[in-house]
Amino acid sequence: MIKIAVYGKGGIGKSTTVSNVAVALAEKRLKVMQIGCDPKADSTIALRHGEAVPTVLDLFREKKQDLRLEDMVRTGYQGVICVEAGGPTPGLGCAGRGIITALEKLKETGAYEVYQPDVVLYDVLGDVVCGGFSMPMRKGYADKVFIITSGENMAIHAGANIAMAVENFKTRGYASLGGIILNRRNVAREEEKVKELADDFKTQVIGTLSHSELVAEAEEEGKTVMECFPGSEMAEEYRKLAEVIYELSKESGEGWKC
Amino acid sequence: MKRSYKIIPIYTADVSGVCSALYELGGMTVMHDPSGCNSTYNTHDEIRWYDQDSMIYISGLTEIDAVMGNDEKLIRDIEIAAEELKPKFIALAGSPIPYMNGTDFEAIAKILEQDLGIPAFSVPTNGMHDYVYGVGRALAEIAKRIEGKREVTPKSVNLLGVTPLDFGPQEHVDALIQNVEQAGWKVLSTWAMGDTLENLARAPEAEVNLVVSSTGLRAAEILQERFGTPYVTGTPIRGFMKTLLNAIEEKKQVAYLEKGRHIGLTGNELEKSSENQIILIGEPVIMESLAAVIETEYQISVRVICPLREKKGLLADGDIAVCGEEELEQALQSLKNVKGVVADPLYRPVCPENVAFYELPHIAFSGRIYKKKLPVLAELI
Repeated sequence: MIKIAVYGKGGIGKSTTVSNVAVALAEKRLKVMQIGCDPKADSTIALRHGEAVPTVLDLFREKKQDLRLEDMVRTGYQGVICVEAGGPTPGLGCAGRGIITALEKLKETGAYEVYQPDVVLYDVLGDVVCGGFSMPMRKGYADKVFIITSGENMAIHAGANIAMAVENFKTRGYASLGGIILNRRNVAREEEKVKELADDFKTQVIGTLSHSELVAEAEEEGKTVMECFPGSEMAEEYRKLAEVIYELSKESGEGWKC
Repeated sequence: MKRSYKIIPIYTADVSGVCSALYELGGMTVMHDPSGCNSTYNTHDEIRWYDQDSMIYISGLTEIDAVMGNDEKLIRDIEIAAEELKPKFIALAGSPIPYMNGTDFEAIAKILEQDLGIPAFSVPTNGMHDYVYGVGRALAEIAKRIEGKREVTPKSVNLLGVTPLDFGPQEHVDALIQNVEQAGWKVLSTWAMGDTLENLARAPEAEVNLVVSSTGLRAAEILQERFGTPYVTGTPIRGFMKTLLNAIEEKKQVAYLEKGRHIGLTGNELEKSSENQIILIGEPVIMESLAAVIETEYQISVRVICPLREKKGLLADGDIAVCGEEELEQALQSLKNVKGVVADPLYRPVCPENVAFYELPHIAFSGRIYKKKLPVLAELI
């Protein structure tokens, strides 16, 4: 099982990229589980044609100890297993603790054993702002962390913070940095700045995604680019990225079947 | 209000359970906490505190260290202390604040082990479970780590689940051992009182593990999985020894259930009881073992009420699992023809006034208040 966590500045395109990569991997007959780790609970929405997935935390609040795995899981496009951690009421509670609880509940209810996914993708909210948001990179969860960024300064700054956290956690046996994904916004010196970020953390820019209108069009349809425009160049870019992520991650996974 | 406690106390918490289980094994146990409620460990729960040394520490977590996620301070403090004291292992136990923060104790233990070369592990407590969970998880961690060999010594057992929280001082535990040894079975190790870590490593040599309280169940399951050692559940109380020995010989898992201990009632049929009955309130394994003796010796129906969480597979038919004071009171009120209630003295205020109350102090419930009145369970009947 390969476990991957994807981080990056809010609004940089993590959920869009992760969902498209999930479909690209599923096209290769891999069983993929996508876990949204964001209180907004919209990571998997494009895989579900706009239909929301009940969140783990809402279900836990409602059902307490009677929480069942099947309540938390929905199937999306291409059979991708969709889970949303969820979070507290905006402005209240603790979102970080929420992520911990949600991931623990998934583990306790046997999500990985029951569904036996080949690939687990954790789509994590923004930056590693507290202990809760480092949960997906802890031992027993993701083996590799990928950071999505554009060439915009704020996105690069967030990417650097995430890479720093991964570096700091090395002695703890956490996930290692798999690389940087450039999601173009077509700003000046974009490639140069992102390569600089990768160099600073002794890693690589492992994939580049174009700034394509098709992404917004697919979003309008409530679908992924992979579903809406499967023959497009953009879909090809996602397929290529999925291939690279898979190749880089499988060495650290516990096994592989295809 | 269903689960609130207005009159009676709650049982000792999981963190104290961890400390109690590991107290005599030569390791360092660190509760990560500001030293608020967890100081009740030494003031209330630990009867060995003033007579027997142990390396039990509280980290003294401060507000700013919690807010800033300053795990480095905890690591540094433990490393300074460990370099001086050379513990055999380091155990980390969490409390509510690090639980809410999501402190990664497993990762901290890994760092400590790397830096110090001393085995380190965490016990996932948060102050919100009872002692059975804490003791159970701590003993399970030891069971995961011992490196003995399965070269069986015939007619030998380990006693699993022994702490003062359930059994009181060492002399009381010696009486348990004596009951087993007088029956011709050698006790190889006692988890974990009056014994050493080195001796616990001999556990795989035992023919059978004897789970003398529910706190030993997790360790028994791990030892069975790792070394194939079968286990039998039951407390070596004198009058119960015949039943217990039969179960050990025949490797039957729950001694008092094999005896067919039941009171002819199940679930909601409480009102059908026309017989006089005795109620026992407390830890499931000890109370069920006592109940089996009382039923056999005195031909009187006994019903156990268990207010602790971990009792799956440990209660006899018709016995009652309760959660919280209100449920306990309701259960007591609903029972007919009750001749007497046997429980820790602090249960008395919630028991029916017109029923005889027999005191059976339990440190995990009332702390050391009734220490002088603690009966030797092994010799009770």
